[in-house]
Amino acid sequence: MVAECVTGKKVLMKGNYAIANAAIKAGCQCYFGYPITPQSEIGEFMSGKMQELGRAYVSAESELAAINMVIGAVSTGVKAMSSSSSCAISLMQEALSYATADQLPVVLVSVMRGGPGLGNIYPSQGDYNQATIGGGNGDYKLIVLAPSTVQECIDLTYKAFYLAFKYKNPTMILADGLLGQMMEPVEFYDYPYPEIDTTSWALSGAKDRSARVIRSYAPLEENQCVFLDNLFKKYELIEQNEVEYEEYMVDDADFVVVAFGSMFRNVKSAVKLCREKGLKVGAFRPITLYPFPSERLNSLADKVKKILVTEINMGQMVRDVRLAVNGKVPVLFKGKGVGAMIDVETLVEEIEKQMGGV
Amino acid sequence: MATQVFSIPKSLKKDVKYSFCPGCDHGVAVRLVAECLDELGLKENTITATSIGCSVGLYDFIDIDAIEAPHGRALAVATGVKRANPDKFVFTYQGDGDFASIGWAESMHSAFRGEKLSAICINNTTYGMTGGQLGPTTLLGQVTTTSPTGRNIEYYGYPVKIAEHIALSEGTAFSARVSLDSVANIRKAKAAIKKAFEVQMKGLGFGFVEILSSCPTNWRMSPQQAHERVRNEMMPIYKLGVYKDITA
Repeated sequence: MVAECVTGKKVLMKGNYAIANAAIKAGCQCYFGYPITPQSEIGEFMSGKMQELGRAYVSAESELAAINMVIGAVSTGVKAMSSSSSCAISLMQEALSYATADQLPVVLVSVMRGGPGLGNIYPSQGDYNQATIGGGNGDYKLIVLAPSTVQECIDLTYKAFYLAFKYKNPTMILADGLLGQMMEPVEFYDYPYPEIDTTSWALSGAKDRSARVIRSYAPLEENQCVFLDNLFKKYELIEQNEVEYEEYMVDDADFVVVAFGSMFRNVKSAVKLCREKGLKVGAFRPITLYPFPSERLNSLADKVKKILVTEINMGQMVRDVRLAVNGKVPVLFKGKGVGAMIDVETLVEEIEKQMGGV
Repeated sequence: MATQVFSIPKSLKKDVKYSFCPGCDHGVAVRLVAECLDELGLKENTITATSIGCSVGLYDFIDIDAIEAPHGRALAVATGVKRANPDKFVFTYQGDGDFASIGWAESMHSAFRGEKLSAICINNTTYGMTGGQLGPTTLLGQVTTTSPTGRNIEYYGYPVKIAEHIALSEGTAFSARVSLDSVANIRKAKAAIKKAFEVQMKGLGFGFVEILSSCPTNWRMSPQQAHERVRNEMMPIYKLGVYKDITA
């Protein structure tokens, strides 16, 4: 049983259900999906709830079909989404490239599991690159939001719908198997963002106006150059306006640990323990993985002596941190291929070891 | 007093240059689609999805809202459009490579689900836009740029009979194969397109028309020779007719 989401009432809920319920409260009219662990609860919940509400639900024949169904629905200005995981998000890369080129407000939830290949169903952060660099063709960016608590699954699902429509750009909620399966107390509230007018671009039938075409085919070199220049002006705006991050005890820190998503939970506990030992450690969490908080990390590098990046992968976000810091201070890495988040004791040990010279 | 007996359909753009090759049947097919949209009063309530291949350019010629789907995904995109807007008329316009090879899953499952959609598929037995390679419908013995000695079963297997497969689905309301090689067949083609549109309007299920088409450029033939090939080589294998009509 999934708890009922009454605004203002605290309930205990799994991350997957929190995302699904938030999408419904955000006004998502259509869900298209295909099962894959560890996010199947989203589709299961949606199948019943969307029918109950008279909204659209399709058990798609594949993830390829599911994400293209989302493209079709959002091309008419309707809020729609899909959700999937790792190896199946791979199948959606073509459509994500098209959706960025078509400037469509696709919302996609990616609940990461182990990879590469079939991998396994343990939590992982191995798809940071897939989300932020992308596997589709051409120059494009997804807006990527990474929750680290179940409450934030709600907050960022709301935000994903808003940003997708505000910028007409596909937006991904990048969670992981731990967050999808974990239960935490959460509090629902009404969708807090303004509704974005879509009447200037959405397909609705050419009545009392000329016909509209949503397309990415640009046979002429000059047209494609102009298109890309404009697309990247939009990305500049996103980078100026939408960077979001969390800081913990960084003000007087000599040493900062950077992590995103579930991994940040243990980092915060480790920093607290280190502080008790008198070590001046802080923690930093990018909430928006794109746009990445590069400027803030660069200025942090002016006052700290070392930065440690921890991820449940072989070192993906660390590359963006190094680019942001641009050699000002050493950026170290502590990773783990897949599975449970690196435990607090191991983190404290690592911090103490690395701070030896600080 | 002059009486106007022929004009450009309202659903076609008036001021565009048609870019299909000389003698290609796409031009006739697009016109028939536009005439059907006009006659059924659908122009202002229609959204179409086209996907990659020569068929993608439909949106350059037709004066209705359109979205370009990735290769093979027109019916998935159309499913999304229709499920989000059940009151809109939604159709796809695709080639045989798009519909029956890369998009076979999307095509068949739209029919299985009985999506209230109409799909038009141009079958010219080759990948036209990319220069005439072997496709799912290439006939046995047919020489293409990727079957240099002709399609043989050992290397390439058999050609796909699309209209027959679509007719097998319980969700299909109408499935037919037509040709554009003669005036009589063009008339029948238009009637089939209209029927595939009407079953959607009545909410009866999936409507499908496979249109046999010439490809003079890639077949290295004159337009006239190409139509002879449609008659003499394609029609004996791809037999014209209505394969399913739940309204009959």
